[in-house]
Amino acid sequence: MIPRREFLRTGAAAASSLLGACAVDSVPKGRTPVSLWFSYGGTNREVLESLVQRFNGSQTRDFVQAVYQGDYFEGLAKLRTAIAARCAPVLSHVVGEVVPYLAEAGVLEPLLDYPGVRELDLIPELSQERSWLGGGARPLCALPFNRSTPIAYLNGDLFAQAGLAAPRTWDELRAVAKRLSEPKAGGRFGFGCPINWWFWVALVGQAGGSLVAENGRISLGDAAGVRALRFWQELVRDGLMKPPPGRDYNAWEQCNQDFLSGRAAMIWSSTAFLKYLETHARFKLIAAPLPADVKHAVPTGGTFWVVLRGAPSAEKAAAVRFLRFMHEPEQVIAWSTRTGYIPVTRPAVRALEQRGYYAAHPNDRVALEQLAVAEPWPWSVDLFRIQREIVQPRLESAVIEQRDASAILAEARALLLEPT
Amino acid sequence: MKPSHVRDPYWMLLPTLLLLFVFFVFPLAMLVKHSLFSWDLLTPARYVGLGNYRSLWRSGELWQTFGTTLSMSSAVVLGSMAAGLALALLLDRPGPWAAFVRSAVFSAYVVSWVSVGLLFLWLLDADSGILAGVWRIFWHGRAPRWLADPALAPWAVAAVTIWKITGYALVIFLSGLQDVPLSILEAAELDGASKARRFACVTWPLLRPTSLFVATTSLIASFQLFDVVRVMTQGGPVRSTTVFVYAIYEQLFLDLRVGRASAEAVVFFGILLLLTGAQFLLFRTEESP
Repeated sequence: MIPRREFLRTGAAAASSLLGACAVDSVPKGRTPVSLWFSYGGTNREVLESLVQRFNGSQTRDFVQAVYQGDYFEGLAKLRTAIAARCAPVLSHVVGEVVPYLAEAGVLEPLLDYPGVRELDLIPELSQERSWLGGGARPLCALPFNRSTPIAYLNGDLFAQAGLAAPRTWDELRAVAKRLSEPKAGGRFGFGCPINWWFWVALVGQAGGSLVAENGRISLGDAAGVRALRFWQELVRDGLMKPPPGRDYNAWEQCNQDFLSGRAAMIWSSTAFLKYLETHARFKLIAAPLPADVKHAVPTGGTFWVVLRGAPSAEKAAAVRFLRFMHEPEQVIAWSTRTGYIPVTRPAVRALEQRGYYAAHPNDRVALEQLAVAEPWPWSVDLFRIQREIVQPRLESAVIEQRDASAILAEARALLLEPT
Repeated sequence: MKPSHVRDPYWMLLPTLLLLFVFFVFPLAMLVKHSLFSWDLLTPARYVGLGNYRSLWRSGELWQTFGTTLSMSSAVVLGSMAAGLALALLLDRPGPWAAFVRSAVFSAYVVSWVSVGLLFLWLLDADSGILAGVWRIFWHGRAPRWLADPALAPWAVAAVTIWKITGYALVIFLSGLQDVPLSILEAAELDGASKARRFACVTWPLLRPTSLFVATTSLIASFQLFDVVRVMTQGGPVRSTTVFVYAIYEQLFLDLRVGRASAEAVVFFGILLLLTGAQFLLFRTEESP
């Protein structure tokens, strides 16, 4: 029988080694800690952690401790709870839709006056300046990190066999989806797309509308919003499009799997999945811009770096030094070429062009070129609520239950007027 | 035993009372308080009185969530009881095979909900799942989208839950069956009662307290369904599997509405309180001569 003291000693040793395995690297003496909460899994996490290690090894002044916090929405919930509990990290990254809300709540640090921030040569469509209507006139509180647009992914083998090209209009998309659909048992869908607000916003823009009317009223696209929704409804009703099961990123993942397994000939997804899909596809993968209805349009997506205002000044300054490092061309290039996200600075794009990267990887150019038709988001504190509570559940209902698109968007607009 | 001082028992109870207060009473009071405010954790909380309750009522969300929870729970309770009782009757015998099957059925009960959710997510995949493969062999068409069709998803999740908790009902029913006096069954057999009659007139009446126990504990457990919904459907499609606990989670952690989530939690607490009260009354009625 093990003596009690020995048993406790062994247990304590086991527990401490277990805790040690879970803990992040401790901060070396004399360096300023920068706690960073991030929301990536898989390859993106590996790339981010390698860049953090590169930063920590490149200087002896600051030390970044990166901690995984679940997906975007889980991470955001934890961040808000931590802010309320006054134990937030100094640095995190959040989805664009929530930046206006956090900025207006006064929890984000204005960044423009920190050394080196004005000199960041950011791509305007991906930075605060043009990601939001009037974003440039507001204090700079968000720097672009993993930024994306929706793009189309095509199964090149199937398209070649059928002699088809990437659809350039909605009508062509419908025709291509019909040609490539095989409705029999275990068959294939011509098109797959998560029933998600991001793709609906793309459709609204393509149908000539926008979320906000000229007088500032949140219109949800009015007639264009209805037209966008009906386009989806028709594709689903005719058996040409598979709305993947699951919600949020579960549906995105399912959509990717449908594409990789050949159950969908063409999907819409984020450019963020480019490298993942290229690596796992057993067919020639072609990326293409989204088609137009009356015009071409895409929203931007992904996240922005934010520094939390409540952190100690020394840590905020250290966090900004880390952000400057992350915006240097080598880091931007490493991040974008290993994940598929769009490079966020002009020097990085120029360097990639000079190195012939885009000539060798034409799929990577698609999202970058789509920025020419990228549409800004409204700077609205309610944007996050509109997305999650008002629009998203109704999109699902309209497409899956085939409810009247006009009535359902009218219902959503009525909800916008209700007090929160 | 008489305490040396009248206050002594209270001192001894103090640690437990303190724990109860800190972890149960105080959070409950905070919950009720938060339900009267509109708060998003970041901006100052705004007093709205019963506004959160009114808004839940008017939007129909409360009724929808209650309806979904009740229908899924009813299916889970009835399904797991029927399956548990049937298996208990079949397996209430000695021998290694019966023991093996008993252990196999009960093993599902000890597996984590997340693992079960992931397993069935794969089994129920409408394109590449085993069930879809079987469907195609017999019906030669696209298999129903069990988890993507709002009409089917609640029953698919309920079926997974039944599979998971049947082992619990089985064990309780087995213990109940072993308490049925053999002498009464033998007497009924001697009187010429058939197997069905013996079950209807002897076994089932004697199993009533056991069934009541299984029903109430399963009902309360099924009302707290969360993990399997989170893993398999995230409350969808079209909120068709948004049960109470998931709705509270969604309001609080995804939509970040502390007030509305608290109001929903208070209502849920009230419903569970009623269920517990009903259980208490039923047991008392059963036990009284």
